[in-house]
Amino acid sequence: MIPFQYVKPSKQKAAIDTVAKDDTAMFIAGGTNLVDLMKRGIMNPEKLVDINKLPLRKIEKEDGHVRIGALALNGAVAEDKLILEKHPLLSQALNAGASAQLRNMATVGGNIMQRTRCNYFYDTNLPCNKREPGSGCGALQGFNRMHAIFGHSDKCIAVNPSDMNVALVALDAVVLVSGPKGDRRIPFAEFHRLPGDTPQIHTNLQKGELITAVDIPEHPYTKHVNYLKVRDRTSYAFALVSVAAALDLDGSNIKSARLAMGGVAHKPWRLQEAEQFLAGKPATEASFRQAAEIAMRGAKAFEHNQFKLKLGPNTIVQALKNAAAAV
Amino acid sequence: MRQQPCNPSHFMKEYFFQDNMGKPMDRVDGRLKVTGGAKYSAEFELPNMSHGVLVGSTITKGRIKSIDTKAAERAPGVLAVLHYQNSPKVPGYVQAAHPTEPKPIGQQHRVFYDEQVYFNDQPIAIVVADTLERARYAARLVKAQYEEEKHATSFPKHQGKAFLPTAAQRNPKHGLNDYVRGKADAYKGENLKIESEYVIPSEMHNPMELQSIIAHWEAPDRLTVYDKTQAVIGSQNAFAREWKIPVENVKVIATFVGGAFGNGLHTWPHETAAIIAAKKVNRPVKLMLTREQMFTMVGYRPFAWQKVGMSATPDGKITAITHEAIGQTSSYEEFTESTLQQTRMMYTSPNVTTRYRILPLDVSTPIWMRGPGEATGAFALESAMDEMAHVLKMDPLEFRLKNHTDRDPERNLPWSTKFLKEAMLMGAEKIGWNKRQLQPGSLRNGDWLVGYGMGVGTFGAHRNRASAKATMFADGRVVIQSATTDIGPGTGTVMVQIAADALGISPDKIIFELGNSLFPPAPSQGGSATVASVGSAVRDACIALKKKLASLTTGNADSGFRNAKYEDLTFQNGQISLTSSPGTKLSYTDVLKQQKLPEIEVTEESRPSNEERQKYSMYSFSVHFAEVQVHQLTGQVKVTKVVTCADAGKIVNKKTAGNQMIGGAVGGIGMALTEGAVIDDRFGRYVTKDFAEYHIPVHADTPDIDVVFVDKPDFINNAMGTKGIGEIAIIGVAPAITNAIFNATGKRINELPVTPDKLI
Amino acid sequence: MSKDHSPDQFLPENEGGQSHSDARRTFLKQSSILTALALTPTAAIKAAELKFEEKVAAVFEKVNITLDINGKKQKLAVEPRTTLLDLLREQLNLTGTKKGCDYGQCGACTVHVDGQRVLSCLTLAAMADGKDITTIEGLANGDKLHPMQEAFIKHDGFQCGYCTPGQIMSAVACIREGHADSDEEIREYMSGNLCRCGAYPNIVNAIKEVKNGGHKV
Repeated sequence: MIPFQYVKPSKQKAAIDTVAKDDTAMFIAGGTNLVDLMKRGIMNPEKLVDINKLPLRKIEKEDGHVRIGALALNGAVAEDKLILEKHPLLSQALNAGASAQLRNMATVGGNIMQRTRCNYFYDTNLPCNKREPGSGCGALQGFNRMHAIFGHSDKCIAVNPSDMNVALVALDAVVLVSGPKGDRRIPFAEFHRLPGDTPQIHTNLQKGELITAVDIPEHPYTKHVNYLKVRDRTSYAFALVSVAAALDLDGSNIKSARLAMGGVAHKPWRLQEAEQFLAGKPATEASFRQAAEIAMRGAKAFEHNQFKLKLGPNTIVQALKNAAAAV
Repeated sequence: MRQQPCNPSHFMKEYFFQDNMGKPMDRVDGRLKVTGGAKYSAEFELPNMSHGVLVGSTITKGRIKSIDTKAAERAPGVLAVLHYQNSPKVPGYVQAAHPTEPKPIGQQHRVFYDEQVYFNDQPIAIVVADTLERARYAARLVKAQYEEEKHATSFPKHQGKAFLPTAAQRNPKHGLNDYVRGKADAYKGENLKIESEYVIPSEMHNPMELQSIIAHWEAPDRLTVYDKTQAVIGSQNAFAREWKIPVENVKVIATFVGGAFGNGLHTWPHETAAIIAAKKVNRPVKLMLTREQMFTMVGYRPFAWQKVGMSATPDGKITAITHEAIGQTSSYEEFTESTLQQTRMMYTSPNVTTRYRILPLDVSTPIWMRGPGEATGAFALESAMDEMAHVLKMDPLEFRLKNHTDRDPERNLPWSTKFLKEAMLMGAEKIGWNKRQLQPGSLRNGDWLVGYGMGVGTFGAHRNRASAKATMFADGRVVIQSATTDIGPGTGTVMVQIAADALGISPDKIIFELGNSLFPPAPSQGGSATVASVGSAVRDACIALKKKLASLTTGNADSGFRNAKYEDLTFQNGQISLTSSPGTKLSYTDVLKQQKLPEIEVTEESRPSNEERQKYSMYSFSVHFAEVQVHQLTGQVKVTKVVTCADAGKIVNKKTAGNQMIGGAVGGIGMALTEGAVIDDRFGRYVTKDFAEYHIPVHADTPDIDVVFVDKPDFINNAMGTKGIGEIAIIGVAPAITNAIFNATGKRINELPVTPDKLI
Repeated sequence: MSKDHSPDQFLPENEGGQSHSDARRTFLKQSSILTALALTPTAAIKAAELKFEEKVAAVFEKVNITLDINGKKQKLAVEPRTTLLDLLREQLNLTGTKKGCDYGQCGACTVHVDGQRVLSCLTLAAMADGKDITTIEGLANGDKLHPMQEAFIKHDGFQCGYCTPGQIMSAVACIREGHADSDEEIREYMSGNLCRCGAYPNIVNAIKEVKNGGHKV
């Protein structure tokens, strides 16, 4: 790590101002991603603004939504009674990520902000447009087993590695941010970007903006939900493909559905057409299979991730089966 | 010192009382390990310590044109930046342009020797600073310019360039030469046959402890290192040769070794780099590799391609096997292993052909990884056995029993002991083999397909020369020392058990010390030979100690033992007694007190009998059974049960030995399902080089594992009746799992690891 | 070349109780050269590069923190980039906490911070200021081992011993969190602790024994 300055303001405004004014400054919360990236020389802030003194840790029911503070820990959110009752899909997704220790450190805001695990992003001696714009995409013609099948560009085919994000995009969450120009609300689906020509910009957050909370609006998906993560080992590994599935059932018929995928795109990948297809259909494997086929439209794979074209729909079908069967 | 050949009748006498051998005793170093008190090599505190960090090459082949160290040298706390231009020369490095030139079999990479780059992430510089943070930061500031040459790192692309190892080319009797029993490639003309290819990627030992060393020049010609090694004597000799100083001037300490699995069997460039740096800065230098560097600097299980052809009669007698293998090596060292050994001796086949080749690539040198080549070879052979049984519509267990051999068909010798058949039957019962269906895809549990598979393993029951010193103090304590190491199997614990029985005293009176080159020489901890080798030395030292006690006693006119012979005495419960008159007894401590001796001391060397080894073929055997479930849609594999069985002679400690067997099974799960290191051939650089990308099994991958020991002693091998365990614990596990996957799904995946994508 | 680099060495007038800014003021009083420089770490590094007083740069880089480690309060001056793991191992000689990967991928460095299991390799020491740290060295009650330590010995929950402190710290937390109700749950919630020797089943047995034995953990 390069030497850097460390400050720990107790006021949100001071934290935001510090980062807004200083190009080399970054917020740090749990540190599980940033400290790793700093050790490897991938991110090199000269000033760290520790936001842990800010009062952003609460999980509360408010009118029409549950608000989760940006500093709420992943582990605490996953086990929170309110979350388990209202948003079990989020709880499942959080528990599918990382390890118990990391979930005790990682915050909700930090999880939203976590960077890709692309092999080329992680090695400063290999090309990566995301880390070093213009250096090329190492994965495009390289080892791309873990990479995107949706929304990629010829500049970047990395994926967003978060499990939590997949559940949050499925649940229509809203990210609350506060910045030098005031506060704003960003729908989760619009928070992360597709790589396009500027893969180095991975979210729509502006300089100095700080995530303060996430709102999850009320919804009927409290029972028939499943977060299914397929990975190279049983636990403590990033997803090959993951699916967040939620059904609102009327007997054996689907009133409405929510569906999103992880491990397939530069952002958590919401599958709205498949959701629309499922509404009104019987909750059968045949319906799930058709929805999965719709979900996969437009997917394009590379040399080593062809399997995702099959694993993707299969995982969708299985997650929907699990969700329908959940009691 | 004297020779102590093994002798069964001798054993019977000395081990009449086996109070401790076989007991599941708790580890003698357990308390240190659970309290954080165990000191591994980077954990010794020395005054004035400095920290070294290595800089690796960013090209794969070529030469360093220039190296810019200015920024690093100016960084705070930096004491030195060393590279080929300014490094103190290692006097023992052979002076030749290419490291393979003097000796065609190659030699270790010579760190900071010249501007040549032979593999990606080759250490090209070391930065030494007063703190770790400063050294790490400054290391990032070192920049090299290269003249790059075209490299070859892709195994498949260059497979055609493989050749017979030079050692075999030079010596027609060398074991790596092609082997033909009966008719060569006889399977080709048969009707009932199979032919398959198998690929195992490079696998990394990845012990949890990062490779570490503290190098300390106590005087200009006197070196002490705290080093992660499986061979303190081997490392001592290597460093003495490199620095051209007397062996006794080099001290190597490895009190605790945080796993190694083979990568401590070689000395590596980082060790010499730290020693060079310590010389230069004249302070102790601590160097701990990063996890990425563990992929490039300390060996690995080499990428291997194999092909097996096999034929059989309709009733299941194997008529021919041909097994070919190519293993990866580096451009500067010819690394070889016994990949094809099991095929030569495991089954009755009258016709067996084996061909072993190596393929040098622009990579670092591999090193034996647990079960080494035998585990690689067993994956192919035992998969082929399953394929053949399937073609024959025969139960694979029955097929193996049918081709069981009671003599070594390769050497045409009797086995010293072989209880593999017994192990197979015990294991089959335990896993519930009768549930297995002949037709793949027949069993299911909801969306999961269920299958059963088995695999057999074997490894030579080796024994090497070793020595030990035993000191008995007047208060009854016994300290035994030997320059062996303990990388995890529980060496210290079983040595205490062996000594306790050999001496007839309680284990809590015995301290066993290891991991120090000042102790009497012992071989490296590798090849599953530590108990047979070092245990024999410990036992012999204890017997010598008893003889010394006897001579002190019988020479004493007042003792009541006058003129008694050693053979007339019983040594038990810390007392010598006359076997014919047990009432005549004297405690060991009283013997020393009477003689006014503060201590008595013996050193013994113990060697295997070459004569016995010419008369018998000596192997340990294992068989592993796996039950798996495979998800039909997602290809996820759950290993739901493993039964792992060993014919490994007398088991000294069922707790630690059982743990080793469990560990081998877990290693086999990794080999079968999760592990494989990937090089991006365009750059010649690993792209999976940490625990997030290279998956070793976690708790959730590991089911209940039942361990079965036949536990029948092999007194021909050594007087304790032991055979090794560490290697056979993993050899044959991977095919047991992939065979079970086949039984579950009908899919035969012969390229490891079997990740979910391969099963959908 | 001999240097004592205890954390407080560069703070002669500082008993360790000063805040970071106090230390900075002390040092500014002592250094007329550096007052002319912008107060950024980069500047301090440049100062060192220009062969200004290196100690000055060093003091500038450090922050003062107070940690309660295994029941003992310690006032320390650390570089912000120093991780809790490196502080424990390299400066405080508490080497029971292990470095297995340094990237949060193996669990060997697991410690308890304010009673929660976390990874010390990804924890900046500065960020742990004011917190209670328990390492493996602080788990036993004097000579009396913690029940989990006893159970690991009894069930042989280790081989080489290197992952063991992390496994034990994690295992204690696993029970405290209420995640030790079945073999499957234990395996899932212990999956952040790698053991290359593969002693997993024995570790699970040790955890079950402690959990079922009703020991206070």
